Amino acid sequence: MNLHPTLNTIRSRIILGEAALVTGLVVVAAIGVGALRTLGSTVSGEQETLMRLSGEGNRLVVALLDQVRAGEQYLTDRSSSALESFRSAGVEAHRHRGRLQSYPEWTLSDRIVLGRIGLLQEEAEAFYALAHAQQDLGRRGAALASAAAARTRADSLGDLTREFLANQGKRAEETAAALTETAENGVLSVWTVLAASVIAAAAVGVATLRSVERPLARLASAAQRFGDGDLRPVPLGDMPQELRELTDAMDRLGGTLRNLVAGVVNESDRVAGAAEDLSAISEQLAAAASDISTATSGISADAHQQVDELNASSTSAGGLHQTGDDTLRVSRRVAELGAGIQRLAESYESDVSAVGSALEDLSRFAQTTADQVQELDRLSVPIYEFIDLIKQISSQTNLLALNAAIEAARAGERGVGFSIVAEEVRQLADSSSSAAEQVSGTVKTIRDQVSTMASTMADGRARVLGVGSVSRGLADALASIRQTVGEIESESKRVAHEVSVNLEAINQIQSTLHNALDAARSHATASEEVAAAAEEQGASTEEMAARAGELSRASEKLRGLVREFRA
Amino acid sequence: MTPRLNRLARGLVNSLTQLMLFPAAAFTFAACASTDEPISIGLAGPLAQPHTGSMRQGAELAVAEINAAGGVRGRRIELVMRDDSGSATRAARVARGLADNPAIVAIVGHMTSGPTAAAAPVYNSGTSPVVHVSPSASSTEIADLGPYSFRICPDDRLHAAVLAEWARQEVGANSAAIIYHNSAQGRALSAAFRSYFTRSGGRVSTADPFVTAVADLEPYLTRLRVRGGTDALMIAGEGEDALRVAMAIDSFGVAAAAMGSAGLWSTELSPIPLEGTLVSTHYLPSMLNSRNNEFVVAYKRASGGREPDHRAAATYDVMHLLALAIESAGTARSSLRDYLAGIGTRADAFDGVTGRIAFDTRGNAVGTEVTMAVVRGGRLVAAER
Repeated sequence: MNLHPTLNTIRSRIILGEAALVTGLVVVAAIGVGALRTLGSTVSGEQETLMRLSGEGNRLVVALLDQVRAGEQYLTDRSSSALESFRSAGVEAHRHRGRLQSYPEWTLSDRIVLGRIGLLQEEAEAFYALAHAQQDLGRRGAALASAAAARTRADSLGDLTREFLANQGKRAEETAAALTETAENGVLSVWTVLAASVIAAAAVGVATLRSVERPLARLASAAQRFGDGDLRPVPLGDMPQELRELTDAMDRLGGTLRNLVAGVVNESDRVAGAAEDLSAISEQLAAAASDISTATSGISADAHQQVDELNASSTSAGGLHQTGDDTLRVSRRVAELGAGIQRLAESYESDVSAVGSALEDLSRFAQTTADQVQELDRLSVPIYEFIDLIKQISSQTNLLALNAAIEAARAGERGVGFSIVAEEVRQLADSSSSAAEQVSGTVKTIRDQVSTMASTMADGRARVLGVGSVSRGLADALASIRQTVGEIESESKRVAHEVSVNLEAINQIQSTLHNALDAARSHATASEEVAAAAEEQGASTEEMAARAGELSRASEKLRGLVREFRA
Repeated sequence: MTPRLNRLARGLVNSLTQLMLFPAAAFTFAACASTDEPISIGLAGPLAQPHTGSMRQGAELAVAEINAAGGVRGRRIELVMRDDSGSATRAARVARGLADNPAIVAIVGHMTSGPTAAAAPVYNSGTSPVVHVSPSASSTEIADLGPYSFRICPDDRLHAAVLAEWARQEVGANSAAIIYHNSAQGRALSAAFRSYFTRSGGRVSTADPFVTAVADLEPYLTRLRVRGGTDALMIAGEGEDALRVAMAIDSFGVAAAAMGSAGLWSTELSPIPLEGTLVSTHYLPSMLNSRNNEFVVAYKRASGGREPDHRAAATYDVMHLLALAIESAGTARSSLRDYLAGIGTRADAFDGVTGRIAFDTRGNAVGTEVTMAVVRGGRLVAAER
């Protein structure tokens, strides 16, 4: 419904409806008053007319009767005054009839009746005049006949007058009927206007109700949506100004809520994130605390162990002091033993030198033998070369003998001698080859024997060389023993000295150990305390972690709640 | 259905019908005005009576002339003739019919005073009154019939005055008798003559009425003859009735100068019984004015040589007057009435064959003149003193 903006308010609609109703009532009142006035004026007009007409009609009737009376009177009286009376009554009657006729109110039937009255009057008048003339002439019979004719007309005149008066009655009835009809038309108009105005008012009312109810329903559903958490803007359509203001307010409310909810969602997201982080961190912290606790426990245990060990060390230090005394005694014994060993080594040294020189001579001999063997081996090489040459020649010769045998076969008889020769040659070649083979074998045997001898020689030399090194090592060992023993003597002496010095140090260490033991004990106590504190911290951290978890869950719940708003 | 409901329903139906008919009527009216249909003018009088033939011929001649000249506002004039039989009853009926016909813009009529008096209230009343111009209703009684009623003939009193004066001066009559048609016109003329004649020293011995239905005049005339001493006999009647009186006068040997107003004379009837009768009239074919000669010639041509009488001339004048009014004011009834009422004042007086025509405030012709004529040799000629 696209109304003019000024009409689109509940107020203006109500005013419109009221105005329609009031206008209708005013129109009804106007119609009523107008109808009453019309009725009044019509009634008075009709009354006046009726009175005038009836007055004139009565005067006409009177004049007509007067004329008839005068006419009849002249028939007997025949005075001039009677004649004059008849004439003037006639004039009067005509005048009244003429005046009646001139009224515009008559209907056609009235006019026809009036015309017939006039005609009858004129005829009656004429017959009376004729009767008078006949009477004047002494014609009584004719005069009576004329008078009778006049009276017939006078009677008709009476009938007509009665008819006329009846017409007036009818006219009055018709007028009354017309007035009634007018009044009823007025009533009908009034009812019509009333009905129209009521319908108009009802229509405006219904339109107003609709224009209010529909937007209200839309507003209610929008509010319901808001209540359900759907904060999206709702297009509410056309509505009256007042509701529009409400709608605008609701829109603004929705906008504000949307912003608010969006902020809350963001904040809850952040809180949830922070809670999760906190939870993680506190878990880590708890783990770390646990670790610390464990570590502290370890430290505490270690501290106890340290104390134990320090106790042990203190005991050991006591032992050490004893050992130092023992070592002093041992080192003095060692020095004594070293001196004996040195003397024994000096006695073996000269024997070892003599063995050494004998062995060197043997070694030189073996070297010489090896050199000769090598020379022999070098000399056997050309023999092998010569043998190879012989084997080559005998092979060639064998092949040649074969070819010759083949050719001899081809020559048949003539070649028999040649084949025998060839065979001989071939056997010769074979004998050469086997001889060469035997030489080669012999040479090889010689070389193997020489070689064996050479290696035996080399082996002997190596053994000689080994014995030489043993003897040299022995000499060196003896020297080393002597030196070592010397060093042991000096070291023993130094040890003895050091041990004596050490004893003092041990004494100091023992006192230091006591101190350390005290410190360790207090350390252990402290570490126990630390462990306790660490455990306590761990518990706190776990609680914090639990709280962080709760916070996280709460923020999740909050986020869930806020998510139900569709902003 | 109860009577009350019935009336309610009828009222509603009436209202609706009127609502529906009103545009239809308006449309019809507009349609009539916009076409080239002829303009209808009513002609009402005792057309069946022989003596009114001249009236019809005068009207037809005028219409023929107007239409020959191109009509009025480009439209032809058409006569709608209605017979009132000289009766008030019929006249009222005829008037109703003419007034209710929206095509009729004006009426020429009626001829005599009684029917005119009966018809005038009809023309003057109703939702759409219409002008009627009578050529010859001369009764003093109808001098004020209403704003839509006009007449171009002189009043009976003028006739009566001229007749009384002529009877006294020229005839030398001391005693006069009156025989009158017992109608408005006859009574009025009779009364006026009695008045003037008595005032001028004469004596009216008798005034006897007659009606068409009772036409036995013998007792009146015999009485006059028996009594004697009647110098002038005033006949107040029209046409055949008047002719009968004239014949009766001769028959019953009344030695008196017969006289009467123009109603006596008709070129449509035999002039013989009226030979020598003195007639007061406001028209004679011999009258000298610019239009009369042409009219007389034209009328004679149209009517086989007969001269026009006052009915023909007056009707001819009324037709031309209405044509002029329609030309000037249109066909609307009320504007036509306003124009006619202003003739001689707001508009120029109309020069007709009967003389200069102007109206007073009550629609009566002013400045008309009545002269004495005499039937001589079958013609109505100016009487010489």
